[in-house]
Amino acid sequence: MRIHTDPILFRQRSRVVLVLVLGALGLLHFKLFHLQIIQGQTWSRLATNNRLRKIPVPAPRGRIFDRQGVVLADNVPAWQLLVFPDEAEDLEETVAFLTGQGVIEGGDLRRKFSERRIGTMAPLVVAENISWEHVARVRTHQSDFPELSVVNGYRRSYPLSAGTAHVVGYLRRLTEGEVKNYDDFQPDQLIGATGVEGLGEEFIRGKNGERRVVVSAVGRQLGMVEEEESVPGDDLAVTIDTRIQQAAVEALGENAGAVVVLDVHTGAVRALYSSPSFDPNLFSSPLSPKEWSKISDDPQHPLQNRCLQGTYPPGSTIKPFLALAGLQEGLVDPQWSVYCRGSVTLYGHTFRCWRRGGHGRVDMKRALEVSCDVYFYLLGQKLGIERMAPWLERFGFGRPTALGPTHEASGLIGTPEWSRRVRGTPWYAGESVSVSIGQGPVLVTAIQMARAFALLANGGYLVQPHLIPPATPLEREFVPLDSSSLEVVIAGLERVVTGSEGTARSLRELSVAGKTGTAQVARLPDEGSNTERAHHLQHHAWFIGWGPVDDPEIAVAVLVEHGGGGGSVAAPAAAVVFRAALQSGPNLGEGE
Amino acid sequence: MQHRIDTILLLAVVSVLAASMVNLYGVSAAVGTGLLMRQVIWGVIGLSLLWACSFIRATYWEKTAPKIYALCLIALVAVLIFGQVRGGTRGWFVLGPISLQPSEFARLGTILMVAAFLGKREEDRLDLGAFLVVSTIVAIPVGLVLLEPDLGVALTYSPVLVIGWWLGGLRPRVWVVLGLFGVITAGVAWATVLKPYQKERVLTVLDADRDPYGAGYQVRQSRIAVGSGGLSGEGIGRGSQSVLRFLPAQHTDFAFASWAEATGFIGASALLVAFSVILLRLGVLTERTGQRFDLSFATVVFAWLAFQIIVNLGMVLGWLPTTGITLPLFSYGGSSVISTCATLGIVQSIWRHRFVNQ
Repeated sequence: MRIHTDPILFRQRSRVVLVLVLGALGLLHFKLFHLQIIQGQTWSRLATNNRLRKIPVPAPRGRIFDRQGVVLADNVPAWQLLVFPDEAEDLEETVAFLTGQGVIEGGDLRRKFSERRIGTMAPLVVAENISWEHVARVRTHQSDFPELSVVNGYRRSYPLSAGTAHVVGYLRRLTEGEVKNYDDFQPDQLIGATGVEGLGEEFIRGKNGERRVVVSAVGRQLGMVEEEESVPGDDLAVTIDTRIQQAAVEALGENAGAVVVLDVHTGAVRALYSSPSFDPNLFSSPLSPKEWSKISDDPQHPLQNRCLQGTYPPGSTIKPFLALAGLQEGLVDPQWSVYCRGSVTLYGHTFRCWRRGGHGRVDMKRALEVSCDVYFYLLGQKLGIERMAPWLERFGFGRPTALGPTHEASGLIGTPEWSRRVRGTPWYAGESVSVSIGQGPVLVTAIQMARAFALLANGGYLVQPHLIPPATPLEREFVPLDSSSLEVVIAGLERVVTGSEGTARSLRELSVAGKTGTAQVARLPDEGSNTERAHHLQHHAWFIGWGPVDDPEIAVAVLVEHGGGGGSVAAPAAAVVFRAALQSGPNLGEGE
Repeated sequence: MQHRIDTILLLAVVSVLAASMVNLYGVSAAVGTGLLMRQVIWGVIGLSLLWACSFIRATYWEKTAPKIYALCLIALVAVLIFGQVRGGTRGWFVLGPISLQPSEFARLGTILMVAAFLGKREEDRLDLGAFLVVSTIVAIPVGLVLLEPDLGVALTYSPVLVIGWWLGGLRPRVWVVLGLFGVITAGVAWATVLKPYQKERVLTVLDADRDPYGAGYQVRQSRIAVGSGGLSGEGIGRGSQSVLRFLPAQHTDFAFASWAEATGFIGASALLVAFSVILLRLGVLTERTGQRFDLSFATVVFAWLAFQIIVNLGMVLGWLPTTGITLPLFSYGGSSVISTCATLGIVQSIWRHRFVNQ
């Protein structure tokens, strides 16, 4: 190819570019000199003052209302004390100051400091819900400890306190493993642990925000670099009816026990109360070890949800279901009767009726009214465990109702197969006789009982208990029952309240049907009266029923732990609940 | 006998690369150590490529310029179809751990093509036809890069175009027309195309305290970083601005600021001198060569490197708006390092093969 040998013009043009560029570089070098050498001190001071902070903007959780708009969980403003560890000159001094002022105890903060990541600009939460007095003390010394900052946050508050502790739930800290699932995680964040707080977590929880601000050397905010706003959580209206809930609290009083109230058609939980209860507000801020052990070491186990987790022998409350089983299996008819002499000997063992003198001749309706044990011993003998167990399963016993989110007990339906597998002993024929009056290897929960009685009231539907109103009606299991069988049992249960010999006559002013139960905890060699027993050996008292009788709306299960007689203790307690529930009139039956 | 390559130029390049790695080490507390490892690998590949390119005869580069240019255009089209999107820009080929940015490499093809065209011409002036040819050579890749869209990289093609016109000998009156056209275009762009945040960046240059925590934040933090470096700096890895992340993009666009904070005026000047040496050696080449191709190539490379250095430092020091133009060989980025090394490898090939028996 041709070579150009006269590059003079190009070289001249090239030199122009060279000179211009070198001039520009010279100018830039001068600018560098000016910034670093002449103004260096000024910029250096600015660098020292230059503090960028990431300030968490917590999203308030959605509030929780009952079905009438009564607030069950709310947010109240609370002061939060933050420390920006990268800005502190000497963290030990900061800790000493805070402990000296009584704002915190030192150990926890030292541990947090040691675990922090350097250079993240993010703060550590020193204390939540600090008092106004402590805020004032920190602010007074702000210039000495610019790394401290008091910000506005929220504290979860439960106005009804212990009254709704188990049903509304409470908050807990995230575990280390869970933190990574939250892209908007903020230090010391709380999430719903139990009850509605846990069930509705995804809905109630908002999205946390963050502000990046520049602050001066004394911690004064100079300007905002970036802001990601927080998105508050959605409010949630639940199925609870506060008036019924409060009646349940009143009904149990000082007694340990459980009350469950369900809408018989939908399974909506109108009240759920476990006694003794606790103050859920305690969990809205870090618990001191002392407060924690006070709750967790309480021999009464207030944290246990007796409605879902307590399993009890059903006693006589199981009888309506065995009566139905007998009718459905065609083993007996409503007119079938027995003569109760106060006891009956079966398989070489004497089984006693609760009434020593006997009931005389009893048919099915009267057997339910007076709760005759001998009738059901003989019915149970006819049925045998192999026919009883499947029927109890159909009525929802032996498996959790899946109310959630708390762990729920299954209860127990003892069978020969279970006996071999779990106990390692064969099933005794006499045990089937015990099961027929709700003793022996049969255990239920209060919520199972409420659901089973709702089934009697609604014509055979096993409803799904729930706290959050579903968008579409929930599936119900249908248990096909002859209407004539159901009518006989219902008539018997009405006579429990209205009959002259009924065991729950204290409810007769109300339009209620139901069944009492007095469940033995232990069989004593000397069958003395219940009042002579030590408290923890006393019988559990049950009343489960529904109302109004002509147009059933709610089912109520009341259990009083070691309360004594179902008729004398549980039925009057249930009366308190029914009175409130049936007075709630206008709101009943409006669906969810 | 064969002439040797320009060892002074090579030393300056190695110095800048070494400084960039020291700088990455210093900010690794904020950006992680993985970037340093990658940059070391890119540096080694880049220097090997520089070495390899220097062995190929300069006449070969001149002859094959159209083919290389065509290959670059194909790559730019391909990346629009098969490329991966990052930060809204479809500009990367990704093969496992390696990702390449063809827009960085296509600039070399464009420079070669412009130099080859100018080197072939004997005329002293750029007539209309030649003006259009030079303009089209640059406009096609720029158009493709703008489709990605990557405004920052597209801007680095502008010195290739302007210096191409200048060397070719554009008539003074055409410069006047182009100048007027440029002013009008800028005015129209200001009123229509530029987004509010882009306008703010320009206004911030005029008034540094206009919005110190918004649009002016980066520039302000950059000036604080540079200024607080003082004479001897705060030490590698101890610059509070860089390590505590006040300074944005402390390893890419604002790498010079974290270097200046860590090493002070001494280190920053040394880096500036190293860049000046690279540019001066290109100047020496233009003084020694007798070939129009060599002169054109070296001058356009010179102009392009100078443009990136001046625009980047102008931004870091607060004289020019933030544009996303990186500091060649110093900012983190594999494609940029490799393409710059390859370009300087062709400069070395001119040293090695042209100055025989002189």
